[in-house]
Amino acid sequence: MGKIIGMVTAITVVLAASVVFAITADEVVNKASLASYYQGDDGRANIHMVITDSQGRTRERDMTILKLDLEDNGEQRYYVYFHKPSDVEGMAYLVWKHPGRDDDRWLYLPALDLVRRVASSDKRSSFVGSHFAYEEISGRGPEEDTHRIKTEDEEYYVIESVPKDPGSVEFSYFLTWVNKENFLPMKAELYDKNGKHYKTIEALEVKEVQGFPTITRMKAADLNSGGNTVSETSDIEYNADIQEDVFSERFLRRPPRKYIR
Amino acid sequence: MFKKLIRFSVEKPGWIMAIVVVAVIAALVQFPGIKVDTDPENMLPEEEFVRVFHHDVKKEFALYDFIVLGVVNEKSDNGVFEPGTLEKIYSITERIKTIDGVIGYELMSPSTKDDIEQAGPGAVQFKWLMGQPPYTKEEALHIKERAMENPLFYGTIVSENGKALCIYVPIEAKDMSYRISRNIRDIVGKFGGDERYYITGLPVAEDTFGFEMFKQMAISAPLAMLVIFLLMYAFFKNARLVVAPLVLAGITVIITMGLLIGLGFTVHIMSSMIPIFLMPIAVLDSVHILSEFYEKYQKAGDRKKAVLETIDDLFMPMLFTSLTTTAGFFSLAFARIPPVQVFGIFVACGVMTAWILTMTFVPASIALMKKEWLEGFGVSEQVSEKALMNRFLSATGRFSVKRWKAIVAGTILVVIFSGYGISKIVINDNPVKWFTEKHEIRVADKILNEHFGGTYTAYLVLEAEDKNAEVFKEPDTLRYIEKMQNYLQQKGSVGKTTSLADVTKKVYYELLGGDKANNVIPPTRQAVAQSLISYQNSHKPDDLWHFTSPDYSKVNIWFQLKSGDNLDMSRVEKDVENFISRNPPPRPMSEGWAGLTYINVVWQNRMVVGMLRNFLGSFIIVLFMMVFLFRSPVRGIVSMVPLTVTIVFIYSLLGFTGKNYDMPVAVLSALTLGLSIDFAIHFLQRAREIHITRGDWPSTAEEMFREPARAILRNALIISIGFLPLLAAPLVPYKTVGVFMFLIMLTSSVGTLLILPAIISAVPAVIFEEKRSPACKCSYCMLFGLIVSAAVAYVLGGYSITSWDVTTFICIGIIVIMSGLCNIMSRHKICISEGTSESEA
Repeated sequence: MGKIIGMVTAITVVLAASVVFAITADEVVNKASLASYYQGDDGRANIHMVITDSQGRTRERDMTILKLDLEDNGEQRYYVYFHKPSDVEGMAYLVWKHPGRDDDRWLYLPALDLVRRVASSDKRSSFVGSHFAYEEISGRGPEEDTHRIKTEDEEYYVIESVPKDPGSVEFSYFLTWVNKENFLPMKAELYDKNGKHYKTIEALEVKEVQGFPTITRMKAADLNSGGNTVSETSDIEYNADIQEDVFSERFLRRPPRKYIR
Repeated sequence: MFKKLIRFSVEKPGWIMAIVVVAVIAALVQFPGIKVDTDPENMLPEEEFVRVFHHDVKKEFALYDFIVLGVVNEKSDNGVFEPGTLEKIYSITERIKTIDGVIGYELMSPSTKDDIEQAGPGAVQFKWLMGQPPYTKEEALHIKERAMENPLFYGTIVSENGKALCIYVPIEAKDMSYRISRNIRDIVGKFGGDERYYITGLPVAEDTFGFEMFKQMAISAPLAMLVIFLLMYAFFKNARLVVAPLVLAGITVIITMGLLIGLGFTVHIMSSMIPIFLMPIAVLDSVHILSEFYEKYQKAGDRKKAVLETIDDLFMPMLFTSLTTTAGFFSLAFARIPPVQVFGIFVACGVMTAWILTMTFVPASIALMKKEWLEGFGVSEQVSEKALMNRFLSATGRFSVKRWKAIVAGTILVVIFSGYGISKIVINDNPVKWFTEKHEIRVADKILNEHFGGTYTAYLVLEAEDKNAEVFKEPDTLRYIEKMQNYLQQKGSVGKTTSLADVTKKVYYELLGGDKANNVIPPTRQAVAQSLISYQNSHKPDDLWHFTSPDYSKVNIWFQLKSGDNLDMSRVEKDVENFISRNPPPRPMSEGWAGLTYINVVWQNRMVVGMLRNFLGSFIIVLFMMVFLFRSPVRGIVSMVPLTVTIVFIYSLLGFTGKNYDMPVAVLSALTLGLSIDFAIHFLQRAREIHITRGDWPSTAEEMFREPARAILRNALIISIGFLPLLAAPLVPYKTVGVFMFLIMLTSSVGTLLILPAIISAVPAVIFEEKRSPACKCSYCMLFGLIVSAAVAYVLGGYSITSWDVTTFICIGIIVIMSGLCNIMSRHKICISEGTSESEA
């Protein structure tokens, strides 16, 4: 008898929940991760970043990014080749993204003719001086946080994500506005340990590329320092048939010219 | 006209009181609008080059003024690198971040700084120096090892011996630093244990000084008033009468400060000293009146008559003592230091206010007194200590008349000896040293500067001529900076320097595997650029922009000095200059200095030099006035003798005792001038008046050493002792004021009562000769001409109306015209026939 009452209660709760939110927070986050980082099987794009500091001084970064998805929301490979600033041309990063554990990351510095592994236990460090953290470029694993739908409106789910290991990150939680239609995360707000909103990442432009809605312009703003970085993606090509062996240490010294232009 | 006013005061004292009350109320109404400014940076005009540059540098390199919190653990062998201590530092850092006005993300602490280190074979990693408080001793020691290895941390965040750590707390504005330092103190107060906490840094010292200065004002000024009251009571034995000068001093201060606040001026550290300067000056005149009144009252019998007679006697000397003091302070308006200008002008206004009040308020109060209140006033001549004073004074008088040769010789010796002392004066200042040695800020300053590279900050900015070539990415320029830093370190004048070269070297050798052999500037521009872009993969990429502009056309070298003494900062500046002149930079570049320590050097040098110039100017102006008052250049010069001896003697003491000539001392020179001349004026003026009736000097001297000398001595005692309570203040400038008042009064009264009579004894005819117009003597005329032109040169120069050349021509012109006039005048009939009229130039 107790069991039946328990089951009925459980069903009622689930029903009640699904009446309010037809989809769970985890599902939204997984879909968002897929939509923003795992479109197609592979892809290439040129990225132009403008880093502006609080005084309005700008610095630029030009790079080509190659990626290969071994498994949706799973293993992934990145290759980043730098064109500008000109004195760092030829510098390259290789990232093997492993969900659930530390990524492997290599750095090639042509002037030093040096390939170094970069320990990446911490993915919150800056991506080449921009206001994007590393994982904001390669994607933060959905399993690293506990998610809940804070609110939703016609357009967006607002997800509140609280890190499972608070010591590993500088934020205490973040909010993500996920587009209900294409599940692209359109905005994220990060809050520090004292509950202060200190960083915003925003999609400024979305374009359909080969049928995939893709964020082509986004901006990270550091509210503490007053600086921001705008990243523009162009020459996007999904399913460019990039070979897996490109994503190996060997190719760091010998960039795959075929994909890098 | 003044006579009428004084008569009116005595006849209708009620009116005077009403006017005074209205004025005081009008002044008091202004007080709530008070604007306080304790920032010594404002000693320089806002548009001053070095300030503008300093602010540009701060903005460009995102630098902030900071409070330094030092944590020292001497008890443990591992110093601060114990898990317990580090955990406290971690929590303290987190709490300080939340204080209002603290720029949390720029805070420098082990838990907010990123380190680059080896992470297993072939790997590097960027890691917070202390991302989490360590659990084990090994983890704590690892943090120590990392900190010691990093040139950005060693000597800055962590001490050489590992016993101490520093947290640098950047703040939004300097005037918050006192409050924030209190907040920090509250935070660390909650943590017990073996750790000791010290808070210092120039902004805290400066802001705390401002705070304590106002507090001291509220303690010291009334205390001085009380002592002055007691002394005056001891002399005059009439409490009601003695209150009048004190009330007058109070009213003077209130009206002056009310005027200052009402006109919208901020009360700066300088202007907060106005009351303490005004009080002795205001009291001085009233004591002269009371002294004279005390002598006259019994003879005259009627108080109104006695007051009028008193003022009649004292009118000229008091007018001139006030005018000279006013001139002394007003000339501060020529100093190119805004707070000093405000200070000078308002003290000058205060002096004139005090004078007008002395002429009206004091007679009015006496007139308002009931006759019974004055019963027995002024008759206690027979009381023993009075008799002692009288005996002492007449002995002094006899001595100075008889032994004038010995006195004159002694004076010359003192002046020569003092000249030697003055040559040994060291010009130096350091706001931290405005606190006494036991003050917590001084203690913290001492301890932290023993442990670290230094808590005093200056920035040397190098700017490449070619803005577009990213000059500071070039290995040769970086090596040049490295060489300069090594040179300075060798010289020992600087505790530590940190630059882009250090960052580049650190990243480069860590990238190459952590071998210290590679701790060099990378060989190529590309290698530099790639090392630096790797550095930007850290958690705090923007830290790079504290050292270089993003276009690499400017670099900022952070200097940490162990002392904030101007001398030390100037030495560093000189060393850098020497280095650059001997080692021309590989590419064209210019250099500039910023930082509070450097700014202090600039304004303090200007203050000291400005004060000296201003002092010489006031000296000439006062001399000019003396010539006018005594209607003779020679008498004018004689009247300046006690003052000159006083100043020379007092300032020689600085040289002999090794006390630095600093800001407070510089400002006091104006006061010295204004106060020292007073006694001489009174003495000479009264001597001349008495001489008219007595006819010869010895009997004049005898009379002079009765009432007039008593007034001088009473005044000297009241002021010198009255300000001694200042010696108990925890702030050095207050002590300095106390010591100076004491010395000024002592030396100038001795100078007046010994040297002046001695000089008069030598040449009585020059002092008392009235028969010939000064215009009759060519030498007098020339002398007068010289004094006038010096005064003109000073005033015109002060206003910067003319350049030096033009002023020179004007002065030469004056001398020529005067000489011509002299020539014509001395051939005049009156001169030849020993006429009596005095034609004043």
